[in-house]
Amino acid sequence: MPVHDGTPDTFPKLLRVHARVRGGQPAIREKDLGIWQTWTWSGLLEEVAALATALSHAGLERGAHIAVIGANRPRLYATIIAAQAVGAIPVPFYEDAVANEMVYVFRDAGIAFAVVEDQEQADKLLEILPQCPALKRIWYDDARGLRHYQRPELASYASLREAGAKAAQENPGFLEGEIARAAGDDTAIMLYTSGTTGHPKGVVLSHRNLIEASRAYAELEGLRDDEEVLAYLPMAWIGQNLFSYAQWMAVGFRINCVESSQTVLTDMREIGPTYYFAPPRVLEALLTEVTIRMEDAGWVKRLLFRHFMALARRVGSRLLDGTSVGPGDRLHYAIGNLLMYAPLRNTLGMSRIRVAYTAGEAIGPDLFVFYRSLGINLKQLYGSTETSVMVCVQPNGAVKPDTVGPPMKGVEVRVLESGEIVLRCPGLFREYYKDPQATAEAKDAEGWFHTGDAGYFDDSGQLKIIDRAKDVGKLSGGTLFAPKYLENKLKFFPYIKEAVAFGDGHGEATAMINIDMAAVGDWAERRGIPYSGYTDLVAKPQVRDLVRDCVESVNADLAADPRLAGSQLHRFVILHKELDADDGELTRTRKVRRRFIAEKYAAIVEALYSGVPRCTIEAQVRFEDGRVGSVRADLEVTAAKTFARDAARAAA
Amino acid sequence: MSFDEARVAAGAARRIGEPILTLDDISLAFGGVKALSGVSFDVCEHEIRAIIGPNGAGKSSMLNVINGVYRPNAGTITFRGEKRPHMEPRRSAERGIARTFQSLALFKGMSVLDNILAGRNLLMKSNLFLQALRVGPALREEIAHRHRVEEIIDFLEIQHVRKTPVGRLPYGLQKRVDLGRALAAEPRMLLLDEPMAGMNVEEKQDMSRFILDVNDEFGTTIVLIEHDMGVVMDLSDRVVVLDYGRKIADGTPDEVRASQAVIDAYLGVKH
Amino acid sequence: MTAARTHALTLAFFILLAIAAVLPMATGVARFPQWLEIVIGGLMTGVLYSLVALGLVLIFKASGVFNFAQGAMVLFAALTLVRLMEKMPFIAALAVTLAVMVAVAWVIERLVLRPLVNQEGIVLFMATLGVAYFLDGFGQLAWGSDVYTLDIGMPKEPKIILGNVFEGGVLIDSEDMVAALIAALLVAALTLFFQKTSTGRALRAVADDHQAAQSVGIPLNRIWVIVWSVAGLVALVAGVVWGSKLGVQFSLAQVALKALPVVILGGFTSIPGAIVGGLLIGLGEKLSEVYLGPFFGGGIENWFAYVLALVFLLFRPEGLFGEKHIDRV
Repeated sequence: MPVHDGTPDTFPKLLRVHARVRGGQPAIREKDLGIWQTWTWSGLLEEVAALATALSHAGLERGAHIAVIGANRPRLYATIIAAQAVGAIPVPFYEDAVANEMVYVFRDAGIAFAVVEDQEQADKLLEILPQCPALKRIWYDDARGLRHYQRPELASYASLREAGAKAAQENPGFLEGEIARAAGDDTAIMLYTSGTTGHPKGVVLSHRNLIEASRAYAELEGLRDDEEVLAYLPMAWIGQNLFSYAQWMAVGFRINCVESSQTVLTDMREIGPTYYFAPPRVLEALLTEVTIRMEDAGWVKRLLFRHFMALARRVGSRLLDGTSVGPGDRLHYAIGNLLMYAPLRNTLGMSRIRVAYTAGEAIGPDLFVFYRSLGINLKQLYGSTETSVMVCVQPNGAVKPDTVGPPMKGVEVRVLESGEIVLRCPGLFREYYKDPQATAEAKDAEGWFHTGDAGYFDDSGQLKIIDRAKDVGKLSGGTLFAPKYLENKLKFFPYIKEAVAFGDGHGEATAMINIDMAAVGDWAERRGIPYSGYTDLVAKPQVRDLVRDCVESVNADLAADPRLAGSQLHRFVILHKELDADDGELTRTRKVRRRFIAEKYAAIVEALYSGVPRCTIEAQVRFEDGRVGSVRADLEVTAAKTFARDAARAAA
Repeated sequence: MSFDEARVAAGAARRIGEPILTLDDISLAFGGVKALSGVSFDVCEHEIRAIIGPNGAGKSSMLNVINGVYRPNAGTITFRGEKRPHMEPRRSAERGIARTFQSLALFKGMSVLDNILAGRNLLMKSNLFLQALRVGPALREEIAHRHRVEEIIDFLEIQHVRKTPVGRLPYGLQKRVDLGRALAAEPRMLLLDEPMAGMNVEEKQDMSRFILDVNDEFGTTIVLIEHDMGVVMDLSDRVVVLDYGRKIADGTPDEVRASQAVIDAYLGVKH
Repeated sequence: MTAARTHALTLAFFILLAIAAVLPMATGVARFPQWLEIVIGGLMTGVLYSLVALGLVLIFKASGVFNFAQGAMVLFAALTLVRLMEKMPFIAALAVTLAVMVAVAWVIERLVLRPLVNQEGIVLFMATLGVAYFLDGFGQLAWGSDVYTLDIGMPKEPKIILGNVFEGGVLIDSEDMVAALIAALLVAALTLFFQKTSTGRALRAVADDHQAAQSVGIPLNRIWVIVWSVAGLVALVAGVVWGSKLGVQFSLAQVALKALPVVILGGFTSIPGAIVGGLLIGLGEKLSEVYLGPFFGGGIENWFAYVLALVFLLFRPEGLFGEKHIDRV
């Protein structure tokens, strides 16, 4: 049940209400040393009170920024609320950000205080300290490896909290006063968008933005305070922030912090979340794992799997949407549910899910339908950091795999003639921090936000997104070229991890492909193809044939679509290394940095269009310890079969 | 940046203490073959001490002398103030020496958790009957052991394979489990037998980090033998170099690196 | 062999078995109630085989020794118990017998295993052969060689079940039911012991790798005494059940020989294998005796198990559940 207690308009006020209404109930759990540890709402409030007082005493002022860096940990969540309680603005960081990337944000936001998870993060901050003179204090949660550090800036979270607890006892009214001073329109948090070009921008979001967006979702899905939610995505991502922080505070459900990034699946099985949020890449990784496991299984299981998955594809989504399905199929599906779907849902930790959302980027229709056909109510939504996510969401009962649903209540959406989507909504950000020019570019005089996405409304009023507006181009023949659309089609094959399509201004579309090491490695072992590593595996002719089959099947699909038939992929190159965020090829949310890649691998692009059979490339790679080395590789350009529109139809 | 530089940059303070182990004039022969002749050196509390040398230099023999598997023909061993002509395997374990193995000796069919729990065998007290009933002190003891083991699992970042049979893990992780099992005994001194043999660069770096962390966090004295000079030089406080069973150098990594005798031994100059 | 093929082979075996078991009915040779009686009877005999096999597997896992004396231990335990019961109540006799079995385990470790440590498997096997003859002889010397009736108050009268479903119902030996229950309890207790106690963990560790176990300070000698004691306990339970069914006599040791094909079928290192193997052989020999006997002139019951074991040795020497290689390259 959403909270209506004189409608508290900031997160700290919401916390106070929860501590009063459901103080003894679990608020946040953390798996530590193999056991789930629970913090109740009143325990959380106590922690926040101590921490807020301590931070204030340490000199954290209203309106100042404080960095929060690490994985999902209760103490970091407490830090966020504590900062908000004294009117400061938390700035979460991606935990895998390298030190250099952090410098910009620390300087931009003038950050003086940081609360970090562990030694790894503390080391990074100590390293950039000379470049960030404003940074004064660093508190760490996990003391491991840090005990013998002798730096005046460093202190433990425990010591901070202890000092605060004492001070809070001496001056009990302090926190109440501080919390009362804030209102809904004050800044709640600043999230930096990685952006595919240029410096990251700080998106300033108010309490009102996030709380209204949260309440809109809670109302739509009837969220209750006994929902179980898994906290496993980066805290710096708006998706995580809205679904595991803002909605948590707005509704009062429980969040569960995973033990480590590698135990997510196990932890999910133990918790059995009822409300779940996952970007497509997570869902994709899960599906890949299921597929691999199935290929390892005995033939009976494999046969059953194929049989029932075919059935599920045919009727599963229809059952979920409540459209008519014959009694025979219903019975058949029920048997499948007993033998296959229910165990599979259980393996995935999705047995108890009532609503699951996916967003972040477009999801392949097959991937999307896979989960829905198992009876999991997975829905797409559309939104961004700037809109507090809240724009469109697929309605129950009318989910189409290729749209993101109609606009939510209170959201106005228009499509400009250029194809770009613009909108106005309650969650819309105030500004980009210290960047009025960018703010003005994104938000026009009448308050319309220019999303930069291209799309259109279909006949039923649901929004369909094709690509980034600036990426949609034309082949030299005039055919529409939507690279993301092609890449997503390729990436649905378990063997293809990343793909970058080229074609704008060229006569034909081509692609650069990253194979999925786990899936292709497994495939190769099964066939007794020996290989020594990634680069070696890529060079195998059998692997090239495997990828060509994938590309050609995408082409066959495209040939059937009158608008996109011209953008079939004529040639491709399999890249010798994995695209990596550390090398700047992907964003931290693993989106392809198209332009950067086109420049970095210009030699490959040229080879794709010059008709040569091979090309040599030397690429820099950054090792985990920060050293830079270079890898040289000889790559082969492979041609793929394309289909005439009519021929494809005849074949179909 | 090397590990030591990172430490210095972080302002880490080391606190190396008095010698905990002193080997004096140790000689060991198998039949007529001399494995060690008159080797003397000491290991200080909280120190990371490396024994390096080419193949057949007597490194493994030295390790086996320290934990009592071999009895030297001459010389004395002083461990924690107790001077003896030789150690005994069980006694060395009880006095706080644990070791890992170059060729892994893990329980392949058992889970990671069970493997590390087995490492606490010497610390388990309650009797069989109480264990079976899982009551009273036995249950409390089991919980305490499990807690300690979970801390090690957390420390070595192997939570995700807690319940996986060790035989199914990749080699690098098995090495980590082996280290975890040795740590489970809460040793004062840890003997590592070629901890990085057969590892790739990334695995070696991980292992180095864990070794440093163990030393740092638990104050465990570490003696490691290694064939390859590279990583060890970054890791160790002091290095002993053996060649043909004799000590040819002893000192800080920089001193050892500069020693002509060491350069000759590694380049294979004839004596 | 790939994992998938091994799976398929196992599955094929079970399907074949199911068909063979149901065949008499399909061909109209048998009536269902009669068939069911035979199946249940076969399974019950199988439980008894499993009990002996369990002792073999335990010792083999922990010490790598194939214990030929397991049968003799069954007889010795049963003899000890039955003679002690003449002088004291059942519970006291049971406790004393258990103590005797632990003592036997201790003596075997001291006098046989410890001196022979690190010898070839065949040497240890020969040694257990000696132990078997010694126990046979010593048992009869100490307790006499008559046939004794062991009555521990198990219900003797047969029960008729499903009387309202089939005409005449299905006849069940209630003694067998109790025996099956005892066996199930024993297996449950052993599982708990192995999985949930630190001694159990140590036993598994020793079974997995002797040297690794020693290196973490697990005392091998103590573990061996424990394992042989547990095997003694299993032998005692088997002796009680067999003895009260057949009477305590020399032939008990011979019946126990059936445990050999059982472990070949189930796999030498698998406790579930010992149980499933026992059930399969019990079932197989009863069914074939009744339905194939007329064609082969009877007596199949005596050699069925050994032929099946031979087939397994040829095609699947690791048994149904034996150790597969899980190491990855």
